[in-house]
Amino acid sequence: MTDIANNLSTIKAEEEISVIKKIMEDSKKAIVDNGWHYIYWGSIVTAALITNYLMVVYNISMNSQGMLWFISMTSAAILEGIIERKREKHAKVKTFAGRLLNTLWSGSGICMFILGFAGTLSGAYNAIMIFPLISIILGSAYLISGVIQQVKWLSALCIFWWTGSILLLLYPGIHSMLVFAAMIVCFQIIPGVLLFAKSKRELKLRAV
Amino acid sequence: MTDFNYQDIDDVIHSRIRTAIMAVLISVDEAEFTFIREKINATDGNLSVHLKKLEEHNYISVKKEFVDRKPVTRYRITDIGRKAFEDYIKKLESIIKR
Repeated sequence: MTDIANNLSTIKAEEEISVIKKIMEDSKKAIVDNGWHYIYWGSIVTAALITNYLMVVYNISMNSQGMLWFISMTSAAILEGIIERKREKHAKVKTFAGRLLNTLWSGSGICMFILGFAGTLSGAYNAIMIFPLISIILGSAYLISGVIQQVKWLSALCIFWWTGSILLLLYPGIHSMLVFAAMIVCFQIIPGVLLFAKSKRELKLRAV
Repeated sequence: MTDFNYQDIDDVIHSRIRTAIMAVLISVDEAEFTFIREKINATDGNLSVHLKKLEEHNYISVKKEFVDRKPVTRYRITDIGRKAFEDYIKKLESIIKR
C-alpha cells in the first residue's frame, strides 16, 4: 500500500514540476520589446544625419552642426523618457529581461552621448570618427539584445555593424554620414519594423 | 524507500492555482492581475481568493494604483515567497528522486 502511495506521489510530483516549468517558460515569453525603440531612434538619427550632411554641403558652421545633434538627441531622449513612463504604467507585466534590455540600451545611449559630444568637443578625434565608434557600440548592443530576446537574427546584426565600423574607420570622409544613415535604415529601422510585426503577430495569436 | 510525508509539503503553495500563480510570479518582476489570469486561465473570483491566501502568508506583495482612472493591481513575489517556492520545488524533486 505504501509503495502504491509512493508511486502515485512520484507521478503527481513529476506532473506538477512539468506544469510549473511550462507556466514559467510561458510567462518568461512575455514580449519585452516590440521594436519601437529601434524605429524611433533610427528615424531621428537618420533625419539628423541627412540634415548634417546637407549642412556640410552648404558650408554651415561646425557649431550649428553640433547644436543640431545636441538639440535633436537631447529632446529625443526626453520624449522617449516620457513615452516609456506611460508605456510602463500600462504594461501588464515587468520582466527581468525587459529591465536588462532597458539597462543595456540606456548604458549604450550614454556611451554614444559621451563619444559624440565629449569626444569631439575635447578634440580627441575628428567628428567624422563618431560614426564608426557608435557602430561598434551598436554592434555589441544588438548582439546582447538578440541573446536577451532570444532572437538570433537580431544578434547576427552585430556582424554588419562591426564590418561597417571597420570600413568607416578605414575610409573616413564626408560620405561616412550617408553610409552610416544607410546602415541605420538597414540594420536598425528595418529590424525594428520586423520586431514590431513579430510582436503584433504574437499578440494576435495570444488573443485567439 | 522512505515513506512520503505529506506534512512536509507547504500547504500554502500546494494547490493547483496557487502553484501556478507562484510559477508565474517567480518568472517575472511584477505582473498585473489580468496577466496572471491569462496565464493560468482562472476566473476572477477564484484567482482573487488564492492571491489573497498567498498575500496573507507574505508570499506575494500587492500594489494597487490607478492608471487612467482605472484601478490596477500588481503582484510581486516576496523573498519569503521565493524561498518557499524553491523549497517546494526541492521537495517535489526529492519525491521524484526517491
